[in-house]
Amino acid sequence: MAVTARAFQLWRTRIAPHDSVSDLCRIADVKRSTLAQQLVRGKVSVPTVVSIARGYGVPVVDALSEFNGFEDLPDGLAEPTDAELLSQISHIDILRLLVARSEAKESGSDMPPDLAPFPHRASVRAWIEAIDPGDLRQQLAVSTGVARQNLSAQLTAGRLAPWIAVQAGRIAGVSLASGLVVTGLITPEEGGWPEDGRDRALRAVPDLDLVLLARDRLDVLGRQMRRTELDDGRDRAIWENLA
Amino acid sequence: MTGMTIQWAALVLCAIAAAVRIPGALRGRGRTMCAALLLLTLAVGLSIAPVYNPVDAVLGGVNGANLLLRMTLYAVFVLLGVRVAAAFASPLAHRLVVGPFGLAVLGLTVAATLYFFGASELPFSSVGLGAFDDQATVQEYAAVGRLYPGYVAACLVLPTALSMLDRRSRPSHRVAGALLSSSFLLVVVFVVLRLTSLELLDWNVILPFSAIVLLVLGLGLIWLSHMLARRRSARDTGLS
Repeated sequence: MAVTARAFQLWRTRIAPHDSVSDLCRIADVKRSTLAQQLVRGKVSVPTVVSIARGYGVPVVDALSEFNGFEDLPDGLAEPTDAELLSQISHIDILRLLVARSEAKESGSDMPPDLAPFPHRASVRAWIEAIDPGDLRQQLAVSTGVARQNLSAQLTAGRLAPWIAVQAGRIAGVSLASGLVVTGLITPEEGGWPEDGRDRALRAVPDLDLVLLARDRLDVLGRQMRRTELDDGRDRAIWENLA
Repeated sequence: MTGMTIQWAALVLCAIAAAVRIPGALRGRGRTMCAALLLLTLAVGLSIAPVYNPVDAVLGGVNGANLLLRMTLYAVFVLLGVRVAAAFASPLAHRLVVGPFGLAVLGLTVAATLYFFGASELPFSSVGLGAFDDQATVQEYAAVGRLYPGYVAACLVLPTALSMLDRRSRPSHRVAGALLSSSFLLVVVFVVLRLTSLELLDWNVILPFSAIVLLVLGLGLIWLSHMLARRRSARDTGLS
């Protein structure tokens, strides 16, 4: 889903009344052919809007709020919850902290974890699981009209369409920008995620919860690896026998 | 005319598919499939007069080449049956092809083929034994020659079709599964149609050779995906 070309034209004449489409592309570092094609089709993609907003120094969230489906974005901004923050920490960082704390009991120094950047491949799914009040996928499917299978496919691929990501935030009652942050459409700063948020949230986790969190993450990782291995085995069977 | 085109297309495709596998086979990779494709190329060639006539001349001009074609085709189907069943993880298909029952069917087929060939009057070279169609033993000979491929193909339709429906496997393998499955289905349809009294005319050539084209395309796709995957090498278990 994208914004309509009409709405886009109205918006861009407001933020840059004297600039042509070529100026727009140069300043925003968008390929001219891409934007031209999107305008011809009547639909401009959300990442294009984000790039242009950045190019002109317009706050991305405000820019998006001009478009259908994102109007409530600025009002829906909030601090990310601890669960959201933790969902964006890789299992390696969690295990590192676990080991550091275990060793600190002996040596007395807590290693400051240097968290791996996010979002990463598993970000979207981890976020959806972190904010899920119980039937998030079902509600998402009903309210967006996108089939469950399609949603699952997007999550497996580590993607989620922007308007679905925002809708997920609405349903779960979390910051509406979070979905855009974890899908990588906007940066954590643009989405109002504090820079040291993940770090703080991770440090605040008590030992017991940290162990349980690590266990859950390893569980997920194990399941993923088993699936990968199964798929690999199937591919190998086909290749070894027929290639 | 269409018949001729598709025969030549099948021959060229088979030859290409076999040729691209030769370098790997010389290094010990995929020897069986390379052999199967070489045999298939030979079989397709022997179905075409410009190849059949000189080969048969060398073999004595009494249609020994047609017998060679039959035996080659049986060998191709045994190899294919075993490999496709293993590739698509179907122990049932594997048993049906090379289990006691499958081997008995193969033995009977070979014996019947030899018997009917010996019992026919074939004094001069004729591609597909077209000139001797009026002999009952020649008709039986041809029918037996179709039944065995039909049997093996019937065993393989389902396992390959299931792989096509598997949403988890990679797209290229699903497409390959679809190609193989339609190929085997075509063989079955052809054999069944020949059992009825319908006049197939051009379809006598179009059906089986389309099946060969689909088969070779499917196998080619698998070969290609393997080549690309080897290039990417370094196996990723997902731990990172």
